[in-house]
Amino acid sequence: MMTQETLAPKLRLREVGRQFVAPGTGQLATAVTGVNLEVATGEFVCVCGPSGCGKSTVLNLIAGLDVPSAGTIEANGKPITGPGADRGVMFQDYALMPWMSAFDNIGFGLRHGTPGKPFTPEQREARIRQFVDLVGLKGSEKKYPHQLSGGMRQRVALARLLANGPDILLMDEPLGALDAQTRLILQVELLQIWGETAPVGERKTAVFITHDIDEAVFLGDRVVVMSTLPGRVKAIIPIDLPRPRTEMIRADASFSILVEQIWSLIRDEAYRAIHEK
Amino acid sequence: MTTTTGSTASANGSRWNAVLYATLLPAILVLAWQAWAMTLPADTRAPSPARAVAAFVNLVASGELILATAQSLGRVLAGFAFALLAGVGLGVLMGSSRRIRDNLDPIVESFRPIAPMAILPIAILWFGTGTAASLSIVTYAAFFPMLLNTIHGVSRVDRKLVLAAMTMGVPRLRILTKVVVPGALPGVLLGSRLAMGVAWTAIIAAELAVGAKTGAGGTSGGIGQMMFVFFAYSIDLNGIVVCMIVVGVVALLIDRLFRVAEYWLMPWRQ
Repeated sequence: MMTQETLAPKLRLREVGRQFVAPGTGQLATAVTGVNLEVATGEFVCVCGPSGCGKSTVLNLIAGLDVPSAGTIEANGKPITGPGADRGVMFQDYALMPWMSAFDNIGFGLRHGTPGKPFTPEQREARIRQFVDLVGLKGSEKKYPHQLSGGMRQRVALARLLANGPDILLMDEPLGALDAQTRLILQVELLQIWGETAPVGERKTAVFITHDIDEAVFLGDRVVVMSTLPGRVKAIIPIDLPRPRTEMIRADASFSILVEQIWSLIRDEAYRAIHEK
Repeated sequence: MTTTTGSTASANGSRWNAVLYATLLPAILVLAWQAWAMTLPADTRAPSPARAVAAFVNLVASGELILATAQSLGRVLAGFAFALLAGVGLGVLMGSSRRIRDNLDPIVESFRPIAPMAILPIAILWFGTGTAASLSIVTYAAFFPMLLNTIHGVSRVDRKLVLAAMTMGVPRLRILTKVVVPGALPGVLLGSRLAMGVAWTAIIAAELAVGAKTGAGGTSGGIGQMMFVFFAYSIDLNGIVVCMIVVGVVALLIDRLFRVAEYWLMPWRQ
């Protein structure tokens, strides 16, 4: 905690809002409003909330794929003007190029991104291999995405994200499409790859979107709870569970208390959403 | 053991049955045609299967048929190449930029309904009666399926892939060549197949029409011209039948070739 306070925030969102003109009615709708958030270097922040709370909007704004209609967003103290290789994004459905092998997908950003990046073809290949090994894809790197299982595709997407060397990892429900068992295994692996066992200063900074409260508590240093109509931050819950975290932690009483605390914040809206549908 | 042999035998049997069914009706029709032709007087001009085969053998032996086919195919390939370059280039621009599409769409849509044959008078006036005239018609005919399918292919590229490339710091032009173009490849290949089909149809019609202008001994050449000469000068119906069959077989082969090309160019789609 001390180290986080002495370091300047990696990401700073101040009074961020996003409005858009609703198709059909032509009326102005608010996706998110008044979002204030600071993320420290090496911190793993999970954003959790019912569907329609604007959690993906916040991620897209940080990624620079969307522009806020109010407020400011800064990364490393500089305002964000558009997408950039310093903020890597992992999409929910992975967004892998279907015409490329896993290997070429992982190397896509290294090959075509950030002009002037000093990589010789040999260095690039070595770096791709390094991440193929890291995410456990060895032997499958020549396959096309459609030949891989959901879990394997997710690994390719993770390797692509990391190989490009971003400062900040932005992940939009990356485990959402997986079955429950694979999901639990990959949560542990994700924390290891993020740098859970390394000192805080050497970890990547991560913003992780999920609708799964259990997942948010298991992964995060803090959980940002959002609510709907309009999308806004309802609470920010610190997760003071020890790291490295293992499966065992789910059996811990403090874990259940945190999950219950967050659920109580979301419950009413979640029920309302079901009845409205 | 017995069951395995039995099932392979029946699998083979069903394949042979399929071949049999596919060829039975054509065989009956050809036989009926031949039977009918044999009831006619010996000096008739009416075509018959036996005479068509004889004409085919003669035309191949003299080299005329092969030369004419090669000439027509050469024009089709050249026209197709022009259409491919123009159609894919313009299609990628129109597909990825709304402003360009809004600008060009009215022009494209007003030319599109004009049949390739309808521009023949202008083609002959501008380019004469040689290769250039028929080439321009083929290019015109092949251009539209190429363009429209490329636009469609580009519009169907997953938007997420473009966003993903943007977040990896890939510059715009690179995204166009490395994400949009390969993503649009299914559309481009479909467009190519259709374009090649209409190009082949158009070349025969164009050569026929140009032949009508130049007459026998015209320099235009090609299968269409050959058909015109058989029609207007030697009144050789058997020759015309041979040309028609060659046109059909070549079209079939081109189509099959494209299916193989699709298989090789898009290994991820199998």
